[in-house]
Amino acid sequence: MIHLEKISLNQLFCLVILTQVGVHVLTIPFEESRHSGYDSWMSVFIGGVIVQAVIIIIYQLGKKYPDRPLPHYISAIAGKPLGSVLNFLFAVYFAESSLMVAVSYSDVINRWVLFETPWFVLIGVSLIIGVYIASSTLRSMATITQTIMVLFLICFIIIFISGMGKGDWRHFLPVGTHGLGSILKDTLPAFWAYAGYELLLYVFPFVKHRKKKDILITMSLANGFTTFFYLLISFIVTYNYSESQLNSIPEPMVFLLRKFNWPVVQSLDILFMTIWLSVTTVTVYVYLFLSARYLALVGGEERKNHTLLVWIIGIVCFSVGVWVSDRQWMYQFANYHNKATVIFTGILPIILFLVSMARGKVAGR
Amino acid sequence: MKADRSLDNNEKSLQGMLFHSSDFKSSDFVAGDRRYRLFYLDTMIELDMVQEHIIRPLLISKDVSVREAVSILEYDETDLLSVAAKALVEGKTVLQIKGEANLYLLGTELKKERSVNIPVNERVLRGSNEALVENLNTNLNLMRKLTKTPDLVVKFYMLGRRSNTKIAVLYLRSLANEEVLKEFDYRITNIDIDYVEAPGFLQELIEDKKFSLFPKILVTERPDRVRSYLMDGKIAILTDGSPDSLIVPVSFWAFFQSPDDYQVGWLFGSALRFLRIVCFLIAISLPGAYVALVTFDPRLVPFEIALTLQSSMQYIAMPPVLEAITMLVILEILREATVRLASPIGQTIGVVGGIVIGTVVVESNLISNMMVIVVALTGIASFIIPSYEMSSAARLLTIPFIIMASIFGLIGMLLSFLLVLSHLARKNTMGIPYFYSMISRDTVKDTLFRGPIRNLKKRPKESMAQDETRIRGSRGSAE
Repeated sequence: MIHLEKISLNQLFCLVILTQVGVHVLTIPFEESRHSGYDSWMSVFIGGVIVQAVIIIIYQLGKKYPDRPLPHYISAIAGKPLGSVLNFLFAVYFAESSLMVAVSYSDVINRWVLFETPWFVLIGVSLIIGVYIASSTLRSMATITQTIMVLFLICFIIIFISGMGKGDWRHFLPVGTHGLGSILKDTLPAFWAYAGYELLLYVFPFVKHRKKKDILITMSLANGFTTFFYLLISFIVTYNYSESQLNSIPEPMVFLLRKFNWPVVQSLDILFMTIWLSVTTVTVYVYLFLSARYLALVGGEERKNHTLLVWIIGIVCFSVGVWVSDRQWMYQFANYHNKATVIFTGILPIILFLVSMARGKVAGR
Repeated sequence: MKADRSLDNNEKSLQGMLFHSSDFKSSDFVAGDRRYRLFYLDTMIELDMVQEHIIRPLLISKDVSVREAVSILEYDETDLLSVAAKALVEGKTVLQIKGEANLYLLGTELKKERSVNIPVNERVLRGSNEALVENLNTNLNLMRKLTKTPDLVVKFYMLGRRSNTKIAVLYLRSLANEEVLKEFDYRITNIDIDYVEAPGFLQELIEDKKFSLFPKILVTERPDRVRSYLMDGKIAILTDGSPDSLIVPVSFWAFFQSPDDYQVGWLFGSALRFLRIVCFLIAISLPGAYVALVTFDPRLVPFEIALTLQSSMQYIAMPPVLEAITMLVILEILREATVRLASPIGQTIGVVGGIVIGTVVVESNLISNMMVIVVALTGIASFIIPSYEMSSAARLLTIPFIIMASIFGLIGMLLSFLLVLSHLARKNTMGIPYFYSMISRDTVKDTLFRGPIRNLKKRPKESMAQDETRIRGSRGSAE
């Protein structure tokens, strides 16, 4: 057989962007403006910069073990028992992220598009698609993602034209009056929206590249694109809504799209949310895939049956997902999830990197 | 069994081996002191050839050996009766001299074949007008004439335990991927079956998995098309008795390419290619999208158009899903009927189907006229795809799309697209990925668009050719 498991830099670019963007697009910059108000775009930007720093750390970590993905070498850094536990925790975190995305987008669809479809059907359908795609290989996932990128670009254009409506530049003024403190406070919710780049931890050895540097450049470009995209949305929203309006619109993007009148399509929001489902599906299946891959390496031997693992995770997610139809629950769940995101995508990679550095030093002596 | 010295004994044994077939004949003649006997199947031999090139020279030259006397190229000797029996079935004449336990096998087979015709199923406006025929040798001759290089390898396989069908595999030694060749060889030599019906049987037997929504082997009847794929490093399969050639491994996008694209200039060629892909999308999704729009999201369309839709559906009793499926089934029935009908009656179908059903169904308020337009467009769009297999696949997908659209609206359409996409992305042919995304840099030049020939410097990646460069210099003058 010809080796098929490698993905190209182009595919990595698409994978990272589409895993990063997800349901958050609809709420940006609502959550980021709790403290910083109309200066939220700065929080979004700073969030992107922080993520860039973490990407560099992950890249350095990957460079130390260029032939293996994280779940393989985690025991080399943290020791066997702790490595297994960490793998398991990562697996749980990814499964939970996947569920989180599926649940929140099903909620959006339930509220805006399909009002009467039962909850478990929505959850079931989005998870089944995710599971079906995640149960294949990394390469085929990357190919699908590349194609979905086209749909993403359509969404991008829709957002762009809909934002060109009547607005006021004075909504931005005066710049920076909220103070650095509150802007920094809001980088935390911005940081959650960028989660997804941590897939490099797993994917690093599977990328075809000429120089290692290419991977870092591609990752940075992808993250830069996402930052640009988020910034664009923050700008568009702030341009259209003042701070006091924004305080009462938790999903400003949807309102913008609904407001916009285009002679060909009456309500762009439905079209947008339909196409956007494909983008959130990417996040769902990438996380399901990662979860299964981490789970495969918990304990001693590698479990070979990837498809089965994905299905098991999918079924577990589904049974949990059916119970969180209550929105109160969902908020709590989201709260917990956001904390986990910071730990797993920010703090843990940094600690792992520091430990591996220290070990390298010790071994060097 | 060894041949006997006695003519009669041999005749009896051969007769037994052919189970006393009535067309088994023998005939004697004497020249000088030699006594000859010919065995043959009189349905399989060319009489003139036997008379002119075997009997006459043997009668004239009495003292030379058989090899020196007969003027026949296909000459063989054996002392095994089983070999002789096999040769008889292939249309050879078996000659024996009395007193010798040696059999001469002489190629005298009768060739009944039609002449090389113009392609019927894959017509183009520009380009060659030759089509493959049923005779394997003629086909190989056509291919050799188009590809005059010793690099072109022809390899024979015998397939079919009871039919002994000859299969020729063609590839260019310096281009075709070794792994693929090995994989292909492994697959084809491991087939043990009574007989093969080409191209259908072969296609299914060498495919990777039984279940596939889309065709994974390209079938063509045009030698020039076969050549263009050989030049990409692919493998072509020709079967005796079938005027079609199979091409492996091909990717999804190959089914949207037509020789015409490369004849009309790249701008127009790209437009054609793009049109075909759009038509493929229309063929699988238009009725579904329409159903989703009218049942779920009439809000999506502008008010005036919504009113038009509304007025056309006002008196229709059936729900749009049923309307769509009914119309599609009618269309399929009409299509199938036109294929099967004798050609003089064919036109009746056009009248009955197109005019009677089309108008009356609308006038009697069974189906809205909007739906008739949608389905007609879908049908026509599906016929634009150059590959018959791919267009059938598109038509087969339409109905699941409609059903999904009727359950989930536009979301259902998107979900079905994702499902089809993931089905495509996990397929392999001969261990090579079947689907390449259209936006990756390597493939975009010849998938969604047909780039200028000068820019198609590399062979498509999907065939994983040994040598990727196709153009080394595009023209004499400097750019």
